[in-house]
Amino acid sequence: MAAAPVLTEPTLDLSWLDLYEDPTNATPGKKGLTLKEINLGRYADSARGGGDMTYRLRGATPRPGAHRFGANYQSKAEVWSDNCLMLYEEAVQRQWSSARDIPWDTLGTLPDPMERAMCQLSTMLTEVEFIAGDVPGQFLAEVSAQDFEVGLFLMSQIMDEARHTEVFRKRALANGGGLLAQGQNGLRTLIEAKNFTEMSVLMHVQAEGFVQSMFRLGEMIGHTDADKRIFRMSAQDESRHLAFGVMHLKYVLDTEPQRREEIHHYLDKADGDGGGASGDVQLQEVFESLCILLGGGIDKFDEGLQKFLVLRKRQVNEYMHRLEVAGLGDRRQRVGPLLAQFLD
Amino acid sequence: MSQAPTQAAATMDVPQELRDRARELGWEDSLIDQALGKGFSLQEVFQALQANIDGASAKNFLATAQPGGASIVRPEFKWMTVPTEWGIRARASDPAMGLTLADINIGTYGDVPDVWHNRSEIARGSYPKPAMEDMGYTIFEKAVVWADCVVPLYEVAVKERWSSATDLNWRSLEALSSDTERAVCQLMTELSERSYYEGVVLGKWLPEISYGFHEMKFFISTVIFDMARHTETFRKRALSNGGGLGLQAPTDYSRVVEEARSYPELLATLFIQDSTLLTLFEHGDDLAQNQVERDMYALCARDRRRMMQYQVERLKHFLFKMPDRREEQNFYMGKAESRVMKEWTDPVVNEPLAILLGGGRDQTEAGMAKLASLRQAQARDYVENLRKATFTRTNLNQRLKELVEA
Repeated sequence: MAAAPVLTEPTLDLSWLDLYEDPTNATPGKKGLTLKEINLGRYADSARGGGDMTYRLRGATPRPGAHRFGANYQSKAEVWSDNCLMLYEEAVQRQWSSARDIPWDTLGTLPDPMERAMCQLSTMLTEVEFIAGDVPGQFLAEVSAQDFEVGLFLMSQIMDEARHTEVFRKRALANGGGLLAQGQNGLRTLIEAKNFTEMSVLMHVQAEGFVQSMFRLGEMIGHTDADKRIFRMSAQDESRHLAFGVMHLKYVLDTEPQRREEIHHYLDKADGDGGGASGDVQLQEVFESLCILLGGGIDKFDEGLQKFLVLRKRQVNEYMHRLEVAGLGDRRQRVGPLLAQFLD
Repeated sequence: MSQAPTQAAATMDVPQELRDRARELGWEDSLIDQALGKGFSLQEVFQALQANIDGASAKNFLATAQPGGASIVRPEFKWMTVPTEWGIRARASDPAMGLTLADINIGTYGDVPDVWHNRSEIARGSYPKPAMEDMGYTIFEKAVVWADCVVPLYEVAVKERWSSATDLNWRSLEALSSDTERAVCQLMTELSERSYYEGVVLGKWLPEISYGFHEMKFFISTVIFDMARHTETFRKRALSNGGGLGLQAPTDYSRVVEEARSYPELLATLFIQDSTLLTLFEHGDDLAQNQVERDMYALCARDRRRMMQYQVERLKHFLFKMPDRREEQNFYMGKAESRVMKEWTDPVVNEPLAILLGGGRDQTEAGMAKLASLRQAQARDYVENLRKATFTRTNLNQRLKELVEA
């Protein structure tokens, strides 16, 4: 066999050896070597320079003649959330497996209406989680590589949502049932978003917030250990997405307060333009299945309805509390009557 | 009757759309206010209207309704009787893997259609609503995206998850000579950027793919997450041992990927990077200066191997199903190959590798010889991966050809 042809010039350039004079020595902390430990010096988010519409990651030396890749956000405030470094690392550490971490063997035969109700809820949830994976993908290219940690967080969310989609599908197909009626309606609002903050406040804060409040009532909705664990594990993931959204909104309102009214307008649309009809739980098939599950049987529908109203109350008040934490407490005066009726 | 809503009925602002709906169902104009006055919540009224309770039924109910009695909502449970396949009881076929996607692909739920017709966000196997909004997906053909291996590979990817923060022994790093450390850091800078970009571009295409092929979307989601982890792992290595980030990666090749106008073109242009980076990582022991790097390359290679398996099987399936599109792939691959070959002559790409392979700056001649062998291995693996996909390049890039045939 002949020697492989040499692909380089005979003389070396080596100019890249002299690009910087500041050696960097990140050291692992209590949680290992996380993004926080390497967020230092001229590599830190606080030292962010202007973006150049390439995929040059923060701190790397620009390459002369690099191609641009299309427009992305030039301002940090457009996408940033102060907790995104920590949330990404937490996402990596807390990955779970629907195949092995759910005690599927604890599923037992439920009365037929209860199984159907759980399958209907699972059908709706598997759809809801579809869009929560697609939407971050749609916005990835708009995040500047100067704020790459936000991109990493969105990539972790895409993984989380894939898992949620399949865990609810598995639940529907694991206990003698099946998928039932298509449930989602109105979720297109999320993928219609044309702006990162619009996307985040609608998806992370509002939609995932409502879902999170429901998952946290999983002990009441689920009637087997497997079901309860599905809600518990999924809630853990949703907490991260929600935390990102709340802190992003806070960052925007702190740094660009002039956007307050614009953000209200996005929420006006999602809240139902005055009606406040948001929330998949209000769809008839989801509402009815939740009432059966919360009540504990089809014959306890009215009891279930009372608990459903408690769930709605909890959803709406937690939503409002999150907005207050983010600095949008004046939303309380703007929500439509279907949400306002539940406010404390 | 609810105790949950707290806003007094008297001050309740009833949305106009509810009043409109009530009129459509024949409710007298005062009936909603009457219901609220009796203590029913607006939510209950809303749900009653959703359940199509007509005006006469509502009036009769309210005439006798007592506080604390039955609810105004009378459910229909139509969803309970939709004609989907019922009685599915999936079980784990391999206890070590648990309940996998393969295990739930039972009966009609396991039928992956050649063409998916539903434009809404519906789960395969559920019962469609008569009308739904178009969600904007553009990819509906199985042949374009599918490979059977995505079903098991998704579960393998979940099982093989790792963390750069805790699964690499960063504390074991020891100082290297300045030139060697900078060579490592320059390579890390390039690899980090390439990984990040691939994650972004795959994410960008994810919303294009309809949900008839959800297993494939799940698998690509794992690849996107892999790319996130590779991005930060390489960055961490660059910033943890006395070095720093170097010059950004060349952009010629990535721009070709960015310019893809279809998913097959995207995958055709990514094929060469997925293959050549896998070969690079598989030669990680030759590049590594310490155990951290050996482990890092091994873990990244394991991830990349899954993506490569998908690449090969998808292309094979695509060419089998759409033979008229075979020749077309040569355009995309030719473009991608030429850019990669250009980047392989870039000193900022080559010289760090030569220093690492040779064992130091004073060993670059030996390093260049080893690099030539590595490039040859990368070229040969690329052509071999194409061969496994039943694809023979009709106009393989001349430089690549020389490498393969040398």
